[in-house]
Amino acid sequence: MGCENCNSNHELDRQRLIQRVDAIIERIGSTRQMTIPLLQALQEEFSYLPSDALNRVYEKTEINRAHLLSVATFYAQFKMVPYGKHIIKVCIGTACHVKGANLVYEAFKRELQLNEDSITTPDGKYSLEKIACLGCCALAPVVQIDDKIYSYVQPGKVREVLQQHDEYIKTKPKNDEQHNARGEEYVGEVRLGMENCCQVSGNAEVYKALLKAQEELGVAIKIKPISCVGACNQIPMIDVVDKNGTITRYPNIRPKEVKEILLHHFPSASPLRRLKNAFLNQVDMFHTDETWDNILWKPEKERTGEINNFLNIQKRISTEGYGIISPLDIDEYRANGGFEALKKALHDGNRDAIIESILQSGLRGKGGGGFLTGRKWRMVADAESEEKYIICNGDEGDPGAFMDRILLESYPLRVIEGMLIAAYTVGASKGIFYIRAEYPQAVIRVTKALDMCRRQGLLGDNILQSGFSFDIEIFKGAGAFVCGEETALIASIEGRRGFPSRRPPYPAERGLFGKPTLINNVETLSQITYIVNYGAEQYTEVGTPNSRGTKVFALAGKVRHGGLIEVPMGTTIRQIVEDIGGGIEGGEKLKAVQIGGPSGGCIPAELCDAEIDFDALTRLGAIMGSGGMVVLSESDCMVDVARYFLRFTSEESCGKCTFCRVGIRRMLDILDKLCTGRGTMEDIDRLEELAHTVRSSALCGLGRTAPNPVLATLRYFREEYEEHVRGICRTGTCKDMVKYVVTDKCIGCTKCSKVCPVEAIDYKPYEQHHIDIEKCTMCGLCIDECEFDAIKKISLKSE
Amino acid sequence: MKITIDNREITVLEGETILQAATRAGISIPSMCYSDGRKHKEGCMVCVVKDLASGQIVPSCVTTAKEGMQIDASSNEVLGQRRIALELLLSDHRADCEAPCTLVCPHGLDVEQFLAAYDNGAFEEARAILKRAFTSLPTIACDECKAPCEKACRRGSIDKSVAIRDIIHEVAAMESLSDVEAAPSKAKIGKDEFFSRIGIFSNDEKARLKESVNTPSRCLHCACDGRVDCRLRAYSKELGVKRSRYGISTKQSVKLTIDVNEHLRFEPSKCIRCGLCVYNTDNGFTFIGRGFDMKVVIPEENKCNAYDELAQICPTGAIYLK
Repeated sequence: MGCENCNSNHELDRQRLIQRVDAIIERIGSTRQMTIPLLQALQEEFSYLPSDALNRVYEKTEINRAHLLSVATFYAQFKMVPYGKHIIKVCIGTACHVKGANLVYEAFKRELQLNEDSITTPDGKYSLEKIACLGCCALAPVVQIDDKIYSYVQPGKVREVLQQHDEYIKTKPKNDEQHNARGEEYVGEVRLGMENCCQVSGNAEVYKALLKAQEELGVAIKIKPISCVGACNQIPMIDVVDKNGTITRYPNIRPKEVKEILLHHFPSASPLRRLKNAFLNQVDMFHTDETWDNILWKPEKERTGEINNFLNIQKRISTEGYGIISPLDIDEYRANGGFEALKKALHDGNRDAIIESILQSGLRGKGGGGFLTGRKWRMVADAESEEKYIICNGDEGDPGAFMDRILLESYPLRVIEGMLIAAYTVGASKGIFYIRAEYPQAVIRVTKALDMCRRQGLLGDNILQSGFSFDIEIFKGAGAFVCGEETALIASIEGRRGFPSRRPPYPAERGLFGKPTLINNVETLSQITYIVNYGAEQYTEVGTPNSRGTKVFALAGKVRHGGLIEVPMGTTIRQIVEDIGGGIEGGEKLKAVQIGGPSGGCIPAELCDAEIDFDALTRLGAIMGSGGMVVLSESDCMVDVARYFLRFTSEESCGKCTFCRVGIRRMLDILDKLCTGRGTMEDIDRLEELAHTVRSSALCGLGRTAPNPVLATLRYFREEYEEHVRGICRTGTCKDMVKYVVTDKCIGCTKCSKVCPVEAIDYKPYEQHHIDIEKCTMCGLCIDECEFDAIKKISLKSE
Repeated sequence: MKITIDNREITVLEGETILQAATRAGISIPSMCYSDGRKHKEGCMVCVVKDLASGQIVPSCVTTAKEGMQIDASSNEVLGQRRIALELLLSDHRADCEAPCTLVCPHGLDVEQFLAAYDNGAFEEARAILKRAFTSLPTIACDECKAPCEKACRRGSIDKSVAIRDIIHEVAAMESLSDVEAAPSKAKIGKDEFFSRIGIFSNDEKARLKESVNTPSRCLHCACDGRVDCRLRAYSKELGVKRSRYGISTKQSVKLTIDVNEHLRFEPSKCIRCGLCVYNTDNGFTFIGRGFDMKVVIPEENKCNAYDELAQICPTGAIYLK
């Protein structure tokens, strides 16, 4: 029997929901084109897409059920069922994958007692999901809970992370903006990276320590959050700039060292305070030994040697001003020559000359294709149309790449300036920033940067009194790798499924809403100002004959110093791994370098003297791609790497054409077979044939390059495929082919037994332990726990 | 404007695609996802040809013919690509073209059709079908036969084969129907023809079919209702595809049918996701999901927007008239 009261309550709830939906429709719009923004707004409001809300959308807008369902289920961002209060996102990007992200995922699953199909805990507190890439590759494996990122999460640390997050929620700072409340004059400056990943790595704590120390010491120091330095492995790090402008760098500092450093550089103004500080410092010194091993007293070389190696052979074009400028300080940007290139372009008014100079510079699209930027500009400039569009492609979907994120977060003004110059040159009247929704910080920064530009007359009508009018809006990508492809990207802006379509016609002729559209990658646009300012000639001095300028890479994987780097074209891969990256971590040997993500390939160690160059990389079976560079060591299984990428592309395939939708899936089936020891030699041949077919015949660039990881590993590591047919995985990565055993190094400490989540290790103190392989889930916790290196993975079969 | 297809010069009209031009010139290029005069988007990749100038393999259904184009539409390379496209589609197409019982009957009885008539209570029709194979009713050849039909019966893998011979006996013994004329004879299905195969049932499917199929004969009616005009079958035969080398591992549940309207039925496990039904209904069929998991569905509320002609538009037997 229905209760009248409840029913009327329910009706009331529905009415309220409808009011909220109507307000959103009012705000966003009701055309088909607005499907994605509308769904995003609904999801933001309700945290999922309630069916009552969708029904209202069918009633009130021109979006019908068939269209809405097809769009909402295409993009990964949209959820049709409510999720838990806190969402745990385990990054399974390439760098995280090679560092054991799957084990981390399994560990969360165990810890939260989720069974096979469920993603949300019964109490509704947590939901668990995998995410393609969080773009924090140098800190792998990473996990994001709500808005906070946790780095280096090992399977054994899962419980700790959940506890930490509980703490974090309780103590979440409301407002961490800094104030110089006393209005005193600054005696100096401390710069530190405050990007998401820097904060994760400890700069957030250092920032707090700085504020506290400043207060305690009574000195007014400008604490300046700066853009990404790229040296992710050396964080927490600060640069101290004293009154004379001398910069002292302190990498890898601890929050407790901060006060001492400030004291050293900035003596207090008042003599009394100085005396007090000196006294307190003496007390500290006797009470603790912290002051003695403070980083402050280490010699310059020891302190900064590694980071200097990391930075030395890099060349800054896209990341010019790194480590000095604030991302959103427009006055500072202008003081450092910002918008000069735009002024020059607008003042000269010679569009042809700009195109000519871009052509001469040899700048090629950095998003993957490597098409000559100047030629693209020319096509759009020559296209006849009242209306033209320009799109900045920031849909960086490669697992293992975060260049675009950093450029957008740290150098938004440079990208905007590049876009303005491009728009002026090709005659575009409207620009769109296409940014992944997974990069909320980038969206915020770019939004703020655009507002600033509007306020300063750099966007909008009659820019800098030149008569040129142009404005930019942001479109948030809803989570589909394929939308990095030009035609799919356009489809998604138009509010459709991200289905690519056949080119020609190229977007330059018929693009967004049928108008000529220039689509350039973030990094490409970030290089424009350099060329306009310094001329094509100076740009061509950097790089190789076919590939000019620099390339930004996200260096990650088994390398000691990962991070964001910008190197001149022509640098060798080995230089990057050895000199910048500091070699392979843990004393292992370099096996291969994966370049270009899911569309790229693995270059074996013996060929790593190859230079970074579009054509050289293609010859080697890799591609420049957008710039993910994942270093692989002897302990990485190449068949597993190929399988990893194919799983990614099969999930990200749009499903339109047979070769990609079914072909990649069938390739993955074969790889699954190989990795579980059921493969045959014929399977390898079939795999190869299928890979060649998909490469030559799939509809779009994603499909055509998807077999590259397979073809490249077959080319250089075929013997590993054959070993898998014989049932051997030499690295022990493929779980079905290995077992865990305890060797006689075991002293019987029972630690492994305690940590084992499935009680597969018997508890017998002082006796060599034994693993029951029937129970063992190969989570790897025991290996991490054992201090005597006594647990090994060995092949089930032997040669 | 002229282009060359397989060294034959043909005239093309402005804006025509390679496929259209070839068809007009009498050169046949197979295509699953293209239907003349209908909205379509390239996807099946069965119509691929090679543009000799660029060396690119392109779908002919959306590539506009350009003056002087040289197209290869019949080399081994091109046919090989088409074959693989078909094999891939077949690896995700869970259906039997013909019922296994019918295929193995040494006397050429269309067992499945016979059982269908029997299940519908159309005993006259059943008798007529029987009479076509066995001319001297009520004497039937089954008594001497080792009944390969019952061995081939897919129901056997679920619980127990359909008692085909018993049912034949039952109908043969219906003396009241002795005047029924034999059904007109049909072309015999050649053993070398192409047949798609449904593959092995999963445990869930077995349980579901056991539960849900309870017609008088218990027959699953494996034969495809849309087989007569199935292009997937026709092209597979034409290109010499015997069976897919990629196994059958679709996630689509087998033999799940959806009644779209009074006449129209939709069977998702036969769908090849060409999208013709999606593009040619307004708020009717739609895609959901992406990649390999992309499916074609019709939401309950949209069923009113489907129309009978879709049965002809669908290139396989996924949408058919009951």
